[in-house]
This record gives sequence, C-alpha cells and structure tokens, in this order.
Amino acid sequence: MEKLLNELSSECQPAYGVECDVAINAQVPENLKRSIPLGLPNIAENDLLRHFTNLSRKNYALSTVFYPLGSCTMKYNPLINERIARNDAFNNVHPYQPIEAIQGVLEVMYELEKDLCEVAGMDTFSLQQAAGAHGELAGLLVIAKYFKSIKQKRRKIIVPDSAHGTNPASAAFAGFEIVLLKSEPDGSISLDKLKEVLTPEVAAMMLTVPNTLGVFEKNIDEISKLVHDNGSLLYYDGANLNAVMGIVRPGDMGFDVMHINLHKTFSTPHGCGGPGSGPIGVKSFLETFLPVPRVEKKKDKYVLNYKKSKSIGKLKAFFGNFPVILKAYAYVKALGGKGLKNVSEQAVLNANYMLAKFKDKINIPAGNICMHEFVLSPKTLFKNDIRTIDIAKRLLDYGYYAPTIYFPLIVDEAIMIEPTETESKETLDKFINVVNKIILEEFCRDPQKLKDAPINTPVRRLNEVEAARKPILKWE
Amino acid sequence: MDYTPQNQKDKKQMLESIGIGNIDELFKIIPNHLKAKDLNISGGKTEQELLKYFLNIASKNKKLISFRGAGIYDHFIPSLVGEIVGRSEFWTAYTPYQSEASQGTLQAVFEYQSLICALTGMDTSNASLYDGATATAEAVLLALRVSSKNRILISSGVHPEYIQTVKTYLENSKAKIEIISLSDNGRLDKNTVDSLIDNTTAAVVIQSPNYFGVVEDMDALSSSIKSKNSLFVAIVNPLSLGVFKAPGEYSADIAVGEGQVLGSSMSAGGATFGFMAVKKSLEWKMPGRIVGQTTDRDGRRGFVLTLQSREQHIRREKATSNICTNASLNALAACVFLSGWGNVGFSNLAEINISKARYAFTKIKSLDGFKAKFETETFFNEFVIETSKNIKKINKVLLKNNILGPLDLSNAGDSFKNCLLFCVTEQRDKAEIDSLVELLTKI
Repeated sequence: MEKLLNELSSECQPAYGVECDVAINAQVPENLKRSIPLGLPNIAENDLLRHFTNLSRKNYALSTVFYPLGSCTMKYNPLINERIARNDAFNNVHPYQPIEAIQGVLEVMYELEKDLCEVAGMDTFSLQQAAGAHGELAGLLVIAKYFKSIKQKRRKIIVPDSAHGTNPASAAFAGFEIVLLKSEPDGSISLDKLKEVLTPEVAAMMLTVPNTLGVFEKNIDEISKLVHDNGSLLYYDGANLNAVMGIVRPGDMGFDVMHINLHKTFSTPHGCGGPGSGPIGVKSFLETFLPVPRVEKKKDKYVLNYKKSKSIGKLKAFFGNFPVILKAYAYVKALGGKGLKNVSEQAVLNANYMLAKFKDKINIPAGNICMHEFVLSPKTLFKNDIRTIDIAKRLLDYGYYAPTIYFPLIVDEAIMIEPTETESKETLDKFINVVNKIILEEFCRDPQKLKDAPINTPVRRLNEVEAARKPILKWE
Repeated sequence: MDYTPQNQKDKKQMLESIGIGNIDELFKIIPNHLKAKDLNISGGKTEQELLKYFLNIASKNKKLISFRGAGIYDHFIPSLVGEIVGRSEFWTAYTPYQSEASQGTLQAVFEYQSLICALTGMDTSNASLYDGATATAEAVLLALRVSSKNRILISSGVHPEYIQTVKTYLENSKAKIEIISLSDNGRLDKNTVDSLIDNTTAAVVIQSPNYFGVVEDMDALSSSIKSKNSLFVAIVNPLSLGVFKAPGEYSADIAVGEGQVLGSSMSAGGATFGFMAVKKSLEWKMPGRIVGQTTDRDGRRGFVLTLQSREQHIRREKATSNICTNASLNALAACVFLSGWGNVGFSNLAEINISKARYAFTKIKSLDGFKAKFETETFFNEFVIETSKNIKKINKVLLKNNILGPLDLSNAGDSFKNCLLFCVTEQRDKAEIDSLVELLTKI
C-alpha cells in the first residue's frame, strides 16, 4: 500500500523553492489575509519522486498492456507526437500574444481544420472544444441557434438507446428534450420506428456510425432523407470514426454537424482521463454559428476573427486544447490520406479477426461481420453465478485491461472489444486464447477463480457500495 | 508511417480466418455511391521528417519574456512535475474505470481532491473540469439546479471569456444573467451587490483577484449574499490562496478556478484544467468524476470512482453534467506541484508574486505618462496602469525587445481606455523588470 501524501509529510526540507531578488513586500491587509492553515504536505523531492513513480506502477496503461476498451479507441500514442509537443516554442506561448508572434500555433490549427474537413467531408471545423462531450454540446448549440435564426421552434433531439450516455446528457445540457428511439437488436435504426418519432418539433437526430455494437448503419441513406425531409438535421457522433476514415465520410452520408474525438481516432493520449479535444465539423450553412475566434488566413498570415455576430460564443477560454491539436496534426502528417485509410482498414480487419475467433463460442448479438469493434454477450454460457464483471476482473489477472463492459445498455452482460489497428496479430491471438480459456475452461472448472479475481493487481476487488454509502472523498 | 504492425502474411492469415478474400469485403455493407474517393491529405512523413517539419512551424512562434497574464500565467514548473506527467503509465492510461488496475490514477486523484480542499478550505472537490471558464459555467448550472431560482449575478470583474462561456452554456435555459459593475476603485461595492440581490437570485459569481488584478473583499461580499439566501460562487486563483483568504473562510458555496498556474504550461491557453470544490451539502449535485476511498476484499485501502449516479453514463439526460473526459493529466500536474512546497514555501511563492508585482508597480506608476489606476487597492500579481502614451507603440517596442508587454484593456469598457494590465510572476527577475521599466521610459 502506498502512503498518502499527508502521511508522507514530515518536517523535512520540501522539494521545491524559489528565491526572490527583490525585497519581500507583501502588504496584505488583515481582512484579506488567509487565516486558516494551508494544510499542504511537506515532502522532500526524492520521496515525492518515489511516491508518484510507485503510484504510476499501479496503473495498467497502454504503454504496459493491451487495452481493448470498446468505444475508446486505445490505439498507440506515437512518441514523436509527444516529443513535438514538448517543444518550448509551443508550450511557452501565451494565448494573448500578438498574432505575428503565434503564427506557428495558428498554422497548426488552420491546417488541421482543413485536413479534418477532408477526412469528414464537412465544410469547416472548430477546434475549441475540450472533449467529445464538449463537442456534442457545441454542435447541439449550433443546431439550436440555426433553428432560432430561421425562426423555427424545434425543441427535440432524437437519440437511439444504443448511444453513448453523453448524447442525451449533452442534448439536455443544450436545452433540448430527448426523444428516445429504440434501436434494433444489432443497434441499427428501424425506419418505421424513426418515422413515428420524427415530428415537426425534432431539431436533429444524433447517430453513431458505425453504431456502438460495431455495425454500419445500412439504412443511412434513407435515414438521412427522412430526417432532412422533416426539416431536421443529422448529427454524427464521431466516437467511432476510426472505422471509416478514407472509406466513407460523414458529410457524404448527409450529416450536417459532427464531432471528432482527437484523443481516440487521431492517436492523442488519454492522459488517465484527459485532456482530450472534440473538434466539431459543420456544413457551410452552419459555419456562421461556430464558436469564436475562428482561425483565418489572410494572404500569408494567419489571423483570429472574433467578429462573428451569429456565433454561439465561446465554449471555453482561449482557443482549445492546443497540445492535443498539435499531436493530432503530427499524426495526420505522419499518415497522410493513404495512411488514414489503411488505419481504418486494419482496425476493421483486426476486429473481424477477433470476432471470427469468438463467433462459434460466444453469442454475438450483432452478427458475424463488424466494423472496428464488436460486442459479445456471453450470458448464455454463464454458470455458477459467474457474470461479465467476473470475466473482466479475471482478464486483469492475465495482464490485460478489461474491455468495456455493460455497454451498450441494450445488450445484456455486454463485453465490448475494440482492438484498434496498432495491435499485432500475435497480441490479438494471445488475448483471444485467454478469453476462451476463461469462458470455456475456468467457467466450469474453476468458477471460484473468477469470483476471487483479480488477485494479481495491487488491490483486490474494491467495495464500491461502501464507497458511495459513506463517501470518503479526501484525506482526514 | 501509420503505426500498424501487421505484415502481408499476417493479413492473409487473418482474412482466411474470417473467410474472405480481401479487406474490401468487410465494407460491403456501405453503399457504393457513398464510398470515399482518395483523401487529399499530404503526409507520409517519417519521424525524422516530422521533427524537422514541426521545428520549422515552432520557429514561427516567438518566445517572449512575459509581462502578460489575464487568465494564463508564466509560472515556474518544477522538474518533478514534468517527470511524473511524462510517465507513460499515467499519460497513456484511460479514465480509471477498472479500479483495481488504475490505483495509481485513482490515488493521485484522491490526493488531488484533498489538496484542492485544503487549499480552498472547501469540503469536497471533484476530479477536474476542462478549464476555469467551463468550471465557472458548471458552477452556475449547479447553483441553478439546487436553488430552483433563475437569476445569476456576475461581477464584471470576472474574466470576459468566462462570462462569454457562461452565456453560451446558458443560451437555451430560462436563466437570466446580469452583470454587476465594478466601482471606481476597481472592485465590487458591497452596497451595490446588496441592492441587486433579490429572492430570485440563484447565485452571485465573483472573481478574486478579479480580471483587473484587484483582490475583492470576499468576506464582506459574502455576508450580503448569504443574508439573501443566494449561493456564492467564488472564482479564485489557487496560487493566490497561499496568502489571501480561502473560499471556505468566507463561506463560499462553490469555489472554482483555472488550474494552469499549478504546474501546467501556458500552451497557447490550453490544455489546462478547471477545479471545482463545494460545500458538503452540494457534493451529490456536483458535475464530473469524483474518487472515493474504500477497502478491498482483504481490507486494504483502495480508491474507486464514486457517487457515479450523478454522471452521464448512468443517469444519461438527467445527469448533473455531460462531462466525461476531463483534464486528468493537468490535475495530476497540480497534485505533484502542490505537494512539494510545504505550507511555508507555498505562502512564500505567493508573497514573491506580490512583491515582484509591487516592485514593478511602484516603478512603472512613477514614470512620466504612467499612473496607477487603482492606487490603494491590494493586488496579487497583476495591476492596471493608465497611460497617456500610445499603447500600440508601447507593445510594439516591447515586442521588438522580445518582451510580451501588458494587455491593452481598451476593449474592457470605457473606464479602461488607455489602460494596461501588467502581470509579474516569480519568473521575472529584477533585471527583466528593470529593463521593462527602462524601455517604457524611452517611449
């Protein structure tokens, strides 16, 4: 067990210190002065380094294990991107520097926007949003503003029940009512059911393509026509874009607004939960509503345009998560158009290879061909009170991060696997063998091993009920 | 270079296992008329070429000695911070869904939450939000949710981009936002605030030090807000809390702010993180992830994501926020940053900021053509100077000398015409300040 920082605190010489070459002259009036103790720990640098290094070793990370986390696109994060982003000439830049002193920053943003347009078949992109859900919010606000501008009252957003939780949450956040659309067992949309909910009040429909079961929406043409004939717009959740780069473009499928998760498809790291980046792309008739500032090019100079009277405004301070944008751009320049297409082909090939190895043994609710990910429902195999959670925990014992589990919600006991294109056949084979071993052998012969799992991790199964019932959210 | 390891033999075997002849068959489901043409995107650069390409782009940014703040600050970042956030076990990990395999992240977030609570004097912190602006917007939404009132008062001393972000977030809600003007001394007048709060006011949002550098009398303002049963949202610079009153001391209900000053580089304004800490009574209403302590089967201490029924992946459209990915790595930087100073060292850091800013302030305001805008007010590391000189010329001359000069405040309202917002942190040494002053003398 690693001590907490407050338990490591002592009377030692602390790790950091700065000197001051002018006289200390703080002059703080009593009514403004802090009177409670700071309560910060006092720890030497050597001990702090050990503490955080030891903590890091308790993580399963993409750099240590295979991370087949469905919907999260845990692909290799190229080291060259990190090296580029560590350059002081990118890091020590103030957002309010004069335009002529941040041409490098603006060039990266401008060029990435252009390349994203080409990948997505959209007319223009905004890079300001800090994450996928933030992009959803921005996209939905753009939709709201558009209907306001043409004086139509449309208060509803259709969201399939197979969607990510952020879809309905973002729509509610943007002030819409949610119309839940029941999807088919393979996550696809029934045209008849869609017609039923497509009322004049519907502003837009949010779709994830391929859907969260890894199936391409075969009726996309008809869906797009129905939605647009109704005067509504179509929103593309780009969480699964890794399946279709260079193969089919959201803009060509009829989507009007979309977001991309740069921290999924464009290889930027997840940073144990962020920062991410959620650019939104729109068709030209919506460009005027995008967040400010817009990066524009005038002759050979990049400029920032804040004067957009119809803009939805600002989604966050300044321009966006620049280091993430920079890494994504480095990725695009490594791959180019051809490389990006190869990425999607390999991602889909890897997923289908795995699916082929599972399909005779485990129930797959969405059929035998998938896109970049697939969902298993091993429920029919369950014996001895074993459940999906036990399989996930047992996988940790074998040195794998667990796939996404219990999502999408429309599949019972779901296990969602996304290998990505950057894993070798050998890695996939080993993982397939372990899953089969757990499900086909250990289920019957050694159920207790699954119930006891994990045993090889820094802690064993943790009591989440106790954590929520009597919350301890900081040290005493 | 596309980072895919499979060779032709692997691919062939994989296709055989699937039972198909070529990869295209996997995409048969996509209607032919929708299939994309070749993407017109240049690339294919090797690692070596990429490095050169980006060094060239980087050279188009100017590295400057900064006397500019206004929300993003040039502060010292200890080597240890870079070492820890540079560990791939952290930066390549995902959100800690599988807690047993994510104890490193989870304990660090728990420590981060504890440090934020210690610093702000608040009861409960979440695991981070995107930045100071979105944290402010989330605080306003939280206040609207719990109060069931719909009026929000925001000080005009709040960062303008934060106010814009709040407006964007509230665009389609029923809430009404009103801006409270600062008085002539650059801060809020208690009586003005008092007179504006009514029984429909959900929250009053005040930043201190405010956008113009002035430290507000949060204690006095708080008593007005409390007496009217409104919620008090305090936006604070966490570094300034080494010296100034903490939100918990003046009974703020929600404390938020920008975390960049705690160990993140400026990076053109992001990625940074926003923090949020609240009173105990609000913890179940808070947006974002929260880590809690618990025990494992053997009774050992461990950490998990908790209070998750607030969140989008469980509660969907009824969630307290849509946030999923946050700014974990920047929050980790803050955790490493905050744990190495000790109480004395951290207060000292804040005092050095004040002292250096005051040194510069005293010199600049005594120059011909320059005077203090708010002569007697207390500030942290930023202050406003009014000038009779041409502001564009000032910054042009400074830029020529590789100095990022003060921010031109002419867009901040009529009362700030001819005004400059200077920032001096512990990063600026005496010689740099002196040469700034010297250059200003010559203009």
